[in-house]
Amino acid sequence: MSAYAIEGVGLTRRFGGFAALDGVDIAVKQGEIRGLIGPNGAGKSTLIDVLSGRAPNRGGKVLLNGEDISDLTPQERRRRGMARSFQRTNIFPELTVEQQLRVASWAVAGADIDEVMDELHLTAMADVVAAEISYGDQRHLDLALALVGRPTVLLLDEPAAGLTMEESLSLARILRDLANRWHVTVLLVEHDMQVVFSICDRVTVLHLGRSLSEGTCDEIRADPTVVAAYLGTEA
Amino acid sequence: MSTIAHGAAATVRRKPLAGAALFVTTAVALAVGVALPWLVPTKIAMSLLAQAMFDALLATSVGFLILQNGRVSFGQAAFFGLGGYSVGVLIARHWVAPEVAVLIAIILPTLVAFLLGLVIARITGVAHAMLTLAVGQAFYEVVFRWRELAKGDDGMSFNLPRHLFGLSASGLQDPAVMMVLAWTILVLVLFALALFARSRIGQIAAAIRDNEERARFLGYSTMLPRALVYAIAAFIAAIAGVLSACYNGYIAPQMFHWSVSGFALIMAIIGGAKFIIGPAIGAVVLFYIKDYAGQFAEYWPAIVGIILVVVTLTMPRGVVGLAATLWKMRGR
Ligand SMILES: Nc1ncnc2c1ncn2[C@@H]1O[C@H](COP(=O)(O)OP(=O)(O)OP(=O)(O)O)[C@@H](O)[C@H]1O
Ligand SMILES: [Mg+2]
Repeated sequence: MSAYAIEGVGLTRRFGGFAALDGVDIAVKQGEIRGLIGPNGAGKSTLIDVLSGRAPNRGGKVLLNGEDISDLTPQERRRRGMARSFQRTNIFPELTVEQQLRVASWAVAGADIDEVMDELHLTAMADVVAAEISYGDQRHLDLALALVGRPTVLLLDEPAAGLTMEESLSLARILRDLANRWHVTVLLVEHDMQVVFSICDRVTVLHLGRSLSEGTCDEIRADPTVVAAYLGTEA
Repeated sequence: MSTIAHGAAATVRRKPLAGAALFVTTAVALAVGVALPWLVPTKIAMSLLAQAMFDALLATSVGFLILQNGRVSFGQAAFFGLGGYSVGVLIARHWVAPEVAVLIAIILPTLVAFLLGLVIARITGVAHAMLTLAVGQAFYEVVFRWRELAKGDDGMSFNLPRHLFGLSASGLQDPAVMMVLAWTILVLVLFALALFARSRIGQIAAAIRDNEERARFLGYSTMLPRALVYAIAAFIAAIAGVLSACYNGYIAPQMFHWSVSGFALIMAIIGGAKFIIGPAIGAVVLFYIKDYAGQFAEYWPAIVGIILVVVTLTMPRGVVGLAATLWKMRGR
């Protein structure tokens, strides 16, 4: 097995003349939780889209456990153990919580859903239609849909978007516990530095479609180019 | 832990009950069907009810597409007409045994819809409505102009065979028999659709309707389930077409006309397309209003228009939606 669970090599994606991704290399080790940060428009969502097969691959390669999956559909990638969530809540509004988790589990050989429901505090609202649960619970459900079937690689695009600080940290803790317990490799896009530094093993900084820097949380905090390009503007 | 126990208990308690209710309702409805000849006073009333059932089947077909695929069709009459024409032409020409004619008349539209579904499943909204309209009208134009097939726009009468599936076929043109038959078929169709909605594939189809992109990222290919829903909807429309053609002993291009599709859609919306039984209720309600409005028949489209406006403004989930809301309020 490859040392890297998910790898992108020279990933490039253009919109017209503008390169949203400009030759990005990224490699995440098995079981690692990798943070992906950068200012608005840096290309974070685009990177997740290319890795997950939502956006066609126009340049570069995507490897999953060392295997080239660049030409696979999102469905085939899911069957090989890759799951993702979306920046904007992307659930099934008219299905109940339990129903949609069950649908998610059927796609991966009828995996167990009780543990995921329990971990994400969804059990009490199992029979409620998703459109009627609170926004915070919807974010939990969104993450739960990706977690069903214990994926090996999880690509999360701002799973805590719109949550309060407290809710974000709680969601992050749940995520870290599950990822460690199930040995899931996570690539996590997150705006909040406190969340990122609290759960990530390493961090990649994207800026203008390029990988600006990569390192441990301490290295990133101390990196002058990152501070100048991104962290400095935060505070 | 207590929440888990509670949640599990709730699911265990509720599901068999809902299932039992479905079986009981179906059994009662079937029994009512058998009793209909004693409940409906005159031949004319029986004939009206039989025809209302044809409308109900077609509206159910249109409603099912909305419910399970989230797609609005303006061309469902294509499959109604295809069913009717297949059975009429094949029986009139004695090309195949009448039983085979009936089977072909139901299977052919189902297959056509499945293949069409594979092509148009990705298309949504107005484009989808226009495309289905065009497909329906294309069929209409063909049978309208192709005189050798079934006398073009004059339409064609045909005689039923003596026997069909070992039974006397003349019953198909007897209002009492057809009324019971069509009622029974409608009940069984609604029952089957309810089972489909609870089945694995039904829930996957509902998920795809709800959020196709997420369904794909959960690992589903979305084309086949969508095409399957198109096929089932066409299957129901084809049954309506076969029944209608046999009952009248007559087929005409009008069966394919967009207005037939349009009225079926209106019935589905008035009844409530978010409910399996909604379109059938809408069809029956509208059918009897139409009959009652008899003398104003020439204003019928205007009357339907007004009903549609009133219903969409005052009861967005249709007649059945309103009934469901009232039922819930009663419980409070
Ligand atoms: N479909 C598209 N067409 C044109 N430009 C696009 C498209 N999608 C993204 N872009 C552009 O690509 C760049 C990167 O977008 P992306 O969504 O990946 O940024 P991001 O890092 O996720 O930002 P945010 O923090 O706001 O989510 C942006 O400048 C965006 O405007
Ligand atoms: Mg983004």
